[in-house]
Amino acid sequence: MPFRVSLFLLLTAVAARALDREVTFERDVRPILKAHCTHCHGEEEKPKGGVDLRLRRFMDKPLEGGGHVLVPGKPGESEMVQLIREGEMPKKGKKLTAEQIAVIEKWIAQGAKVTKPEPETLALGMFITDEDREWWAFKPIARPAVPQTGSDRVRSPIDAFVLAKLREQKLDFAPEAEKRALIRRVTLDLTGLPPTPTEVDGFVADTAPDAYEKLVDRLLASPAYGERWARHWLDVAGYADSNGFMEVDSPRLHAWRYRDYVIRAFNDDKPWSGFIAEQLAGDELAGATHADTQQVMLDPHKRDQLVATAFLRLGPDGTDDGAPDTKLARNQAIAEEIRIVSSSLLGLTVACAQCHDHRYDPISQADYYRFRAIFDPAYDWQKWRNPSQRLYSLYTPEERAKADAIEKQIGDINREAQAMSKKFLDEIFEKEVVKLPEAEREPYRAARATAEKDRTPEQKALLKKYPSALALYSLDLYDKDAQKKVLDKIAEGTKLRATKPPEGMVMALTEVKGVVPGTRVMNRGDHDQPKQFVEPGELSVIERAPLAPKPTDTGSTGRRLAYARWLTSGQHPLVARVLVNRFWLHHFGRGLVNTPGDFGALGEAPTHPELLDWLASDFMQGGWKLKRLQRLMVTSTTYRQSSLSDASSKADPDNKLYGRFKMQRLDAEALRDTMLAAAGTLNRAAFGPPIGIARDLSGRIVVGQEELNANRDIVKVKSLGKDDFRRSIYVQVRRKQPLTVLEAFDAPVMTPNCELRSSSTVAPQSLLLMNDTFVLDTARAFATRLRGESQGDARGQIVNAWRILFGRSPQEPDMQRALAYIAEQTEAVRNYHHGIQHAKDAPAPDPHLDALASYCQVLFSSNRFLYVE
Amino acid sequence: MNHPHLCSRRHFLHAGGFGLGTLALAELLRGDGLLAAPVKPHAPGESPRFDLVPKAPHFAPKAKAMISLFMMGGPSQMDLFDPKPMLQKYDGQKFPGEIKYDNLAQASSKVFGSPWKFAPRGQCGMELSELLPNLAEVADDITLIRSMHSGVNNHGQGLYALLNGRVTPGRPTIGSWLTYGLGSETQELPAYMVLAHPGGLPTFQGEHFTNGWLPALYQGTLIRPAEPRILNLDPPAHLAGRPQDRQLDLLKSINEQHLAEHPGELDLQARISSYELAAKMQTAAKEALDISNEPDHIKKLYGVDDPKTRDYATRCIIARRLVERGVRFVQVLNSGQSWDQHGSLISALPANCIATDRPSAALIIDLKQRGLLDSTVVHWGGEMGRLPVLQNDAGRDKWGRDHNTYGFSQWVAGGGFKRGCVYGETDEFSHHAVKDIVHHYDWHATLLHCFGLDHKRLTYKRNGTAASLTDGQEARVVKEILA
Repeated sequence: MPFRVSLFLLLTAVAARALDREVTFERDVRPILKAHCTHCHGEEEKPKGGVDLRLRRFMDKPLEGGGHVLVPGKPGESEMVQLIREGEMPKKGKKLTAEQIAVIEKWIAQGAKVTKPEPETLALGMFITDEDREWWAFKPIARPAVPQTGSDRVRSPIDAFVLAKLREQKLDFAPEAEKRALIRRVTLDLTGLPPTPTEVDGFVADTAPDAYEKLVDRLLASPAYGERWARHWLDVAGYADSNGFMEVDSPRLHAWRYRDYVIRAFNDDKPWSGFIAEQLAGDELAGATHADTQQVMLDPHKRDQLVATAFLRLGPDGTDDGAPDTKLARNQAIAEEIRIVSSSLLGLTVACAQCHDHRYDPISQADYYRFRAIFDPAYDWQKWRNPSQRLYSLYTPEERAKADAIEKQIGDINREAQAMSKKFLDEIFEKEVVKLPEAEREPYRAARATAEKDRTPEQKALLKKYPSALALYSLDLYDKDAQKKVLDKIAEGTKLRATKPPEGMVMALTEVKGVVPGTRVMNRGDHDQPKQFVEPGELSVIERAPLAPKPTDTGSTGRRLAYARWLTSGQHPLVARVLVNRFWLHHFGRGLVNTPGDFGALGEAPTHPELLDWLASDFMQGGWKLKRLQRLMVTSTTYRQSSLSDASSKADPDNKLYGRFKMQRLDAEALRDTMLAAAGTLNRAAFGPPIGIARDLSGRIVVGQEELNANRDIVKVKSLGKDDFRRSIYVQVRRKQPLTVLEAFDAPVMTPNCELRSSSTVAPQSLLLMNDTFVLDTARAFATRLRGESQGDARGQIVNAWRILFGRSPQEPDMQRALAYIAEQTEAVRNYHHGIQHAKDAPAPDPHLDALASYCQVLFSSNRFLYVE
Repeated sequence: MNHPHLCSRRHFLHAGGFGLGTLALAELLRGDGLLAAPVKPHAPGESPRFDLVPKAPHFAPKAKAMISLFMMGGPSQMDLFDPKPMLQKYDGQKFPGEIKYDNLAQASSKVFGSPWKFAPRGQCGMELSELLPNLAEVADDITLIRSMHSGVNNHGQGLYALLNGRVTPGRPTIGSWLTYGLGSETQELPAYMVLAHPGGLPTFQGEHFTNGWLPALYQGTLIRPAEPRILNLDPPAHLAGRPQDRQLDLLKSINEQHLAEHPGELDLQARISSYELAAKMQTAAKEALDISNEPDHIKKLYGVDDPKTRDYATRCIIARRLVERGVRFVQVLNSGQSWDQHGSLISALPANCIATDRPSAALIIDLKQRGLLDSTVVHWGGEMGRLPVLQNDAGRDKWGRDHNTYGFSQWVAGGGFKRGCVYGETDEFSHHAVKDIVHHYDWHATLLHCFGLDHKRLTYKRNGTAASLTDGQEARVVKEILA
């Protein structure tokens, strides 16, 4: 079986079941017709043969050649049945199965009735049925009753829901994980960093009944928490420090303020209702439009709200980089943003409806453009503003005045320099012109004084005749000293410019006051083929009321704010489900819905629908506070289980029922950060512009700065000092140049965003752990730390290494192997150094350190390190 | 238009083929004396170990390796492979029938006669377009299938159908099934290698070479599009040789001990194997991926000397070198969906052909002269074809064609396929395959057959069912195209 039941099988299964009972049009027949017939018979502009099968009453229309689509009570006389039976219909695509035909026949035999009134009018194309609205993800979020299990393992409703399902399969929870495993698991999960040996010891020694809860609270309060969990949201939001789209992938210099905003939002436990509203409509909340944004940002709170709107500017955008087809590039930039918003918040593949009605979900193409119309006033592709025109200065009026004054001074200096240059050249000319034949001196003087474009051909010829006398440019060729004086003057200006207050910029999305472009459906998604105008609105299938945006006092349409309010109203069927599912996924390694970006027909059904709803409603009722929800998740028995359970592994290898904790590989950022933390080199400085990256001579992308020679070839990569060791979230994200160590371990390429990372196991990862300079350098730093902390104590160093990396001490056989290994390796490295001539200024070889480092590297490469149990 | 892909979900679809079920199945198959036995024998209650040592197929194979030149986007069959005089006759007129549009509401019904001439090629007289002059030279070595059909519109679904047998993502791809079923003839290179285009991966990225829910051991290893094609092949000087062996020995013992504490975790097993492979790749991969010592006439044959073909030629040579060294499956990818000519077909299609035609044909010539063609399947094709009517009626230079999964072409050579064979037909406008239809699952069954594998018996036990590439679909081995 495929992991998703195919639509076809689903319909067949439904059809087979239908035969045992009364057949209804709405439940049994229409899905068959929709899958096989209405594409030609009803959903196109002119239904084939005039036959429209979308509504029951349309089927009463006599056929063009006489005869009837159907005759109630008489399947044998219904042409529809005949044509299907003979295989004449459907003309294209799959034929109906015997079961499906039987359903249609039975329905006709029973009188071809409907169970409820059909719509009076029906627009062209896709129409949404009650059954569409009954799709599980579109129904209101319920607050299901918590199952009674009577088990003392149940700590919270989460456990009750999970245990009830496990019991259905005759399974039970795995035993509680051992304490050392648990602290490593929860610390890495919540902070992306490993627990220190002291923290492990403290937790193991703490026998208080709430020792674990205290640990969780400490972790949730740690600044590292936000750096870890922001990363998950940045994946979905498609965060990058470059513009993508074009090959140059130009840097996006100011995106980092959004990254910092997200980290702070997580650490401050900002309610998600507000977090969403600020990201979608921070400008409208702050009362800003394009012209006055800079003014509004003088208020720090409003500035944050504007920074948040960068969420809607994160997709690839080539319009600053000379994208060849400007109109297309603008519309593609918008389409990418629509994709990000809809996949991150709605968990639907709305983007599939850009060119045509969605094939599997009830999302029409018109819906797509109604959705886009929410955002269009801010994007406005016809009066497009490039990324560089959507930056707002953070200067205060005072800073601005100071900067302007300095610029004016610089202007004066430059003018002075120009005058100097002219004076020098004129003096030179006076000396040169006397060398000309007397008769030509005055004409030459006149020609020189005439602007180039006004010179007569004779004048031009004359100047050309005595080129060296001209002395209008290239002062340096005549008089180097004079040139230097001019350059010194210009340098004064340059120096002055450095004294200007630094100008920060904010990347934000705003509307232009009073400008409201109409949104039109685009034929085939083509902006050159506009069709009817549409009004902004939610997808029809989940719309409860018209959007009714209220323009803000400041002249913004209020569309995005109105939409944000609806999303966070507590009534929206998708947002909370989609969010809690994603949080769950990150904690437990698989989502309750295992297709976090697709809650539609092609997505996977929830394994625990009641639990999902319970979590979603609890999240909303708890004020959209994430930490509260996470505390509930990670303190549950479900989370605290051991990863070892024979029964669960055998019966449920995918762990869909959560009868154990599924082992997970460290993700890319946690891997790099944990290695740095172990080595003791991790720089915990937070926030600010991204740390630069460079291509080294082996083709790896590493942290650092490229040093180029005159040919612009890379000579070497310069260290950035302590910034080499910042957490991965602060390293520049270039779409075309992902950091090698992160890319190897499945850090996503943002095209435009990532709803679910993969976790691959391939040989290039092993090669990286064996040979990459980052790994080697970090292992060496780790070895240096170990020697520093246990000087001359070989056993102590090994114990310390294990405790730092694994949270436990080695067994005696591990110790023996390690000691033997380090001794052998020291000898081997010593022999290696004997055999080669070292440079005079090279540090003295340290074979023991090399050997210990190579041991640390083995530990970094081990599954005990790479996986979390 | 593109549909969003997940960055890949394979992690969450963890392989789960252990327990008594698999054992029983393995025993059963072994009892036949016929099987590929991908799962090593293991005692009841123990977890199976997966590896890449060569396995015996179900019956005598013709093919041992495959190179798939995958052309994402949908190459236009009526402009390349499937000549239709009726298109010329009706050129510019209304299409006299019904068109199965990808998007009905927005289509033109004007017939778009191919702007390119066809002529019979080779002894066999196979008609091919003037856009493929090099393929014409090897027409007698290929089987051209003109009746491919998946019937699932749009790129994602079409791609999944062609690569994993169903219209949904997350299932194992052909290369994973072959390496799972047959292991690898080399233990020094990955069994399944993927050569990426410098412009980036195709639209659906990792789905092209995912192992789905098969163990991670069977996933495709992506090779970088430029030097260094694999990073980190050089050990640090002071650890090269014996010291690194010693490191890996220690690592293995630590990992085996850890695995014993976590029996049945297939990912842990896969990682242990990947270190063994990585160690050998340090020398083997560098040599295999380096074409600098290829003789000039070979480089010229493929087109390494021409900037227009240099990249594709280089990757085709590498593909050949990998197969020579025992790699089971090599996928050569394009970027994005570069064959998706909804517009500007008249300029864009020739550009695609120029880049790929000479290297592709050279691959056949070269494999043949080395005696490798008989045991190597070369496949050239995409996930769909195109419609006989035009799209984007905004001036001839902007004309394009919409998707068509109801009838399209692909070609195969070597590995047990016939030579100089044309199979199947579309209707007179090249819209629907009408004669000798080859569904995607028929193609899969036939392909596996060339490798000595029965598509119904090459299964993987998961969640209590025996999963397979063809997944219970009524697949037929198309014997008519087998030599």
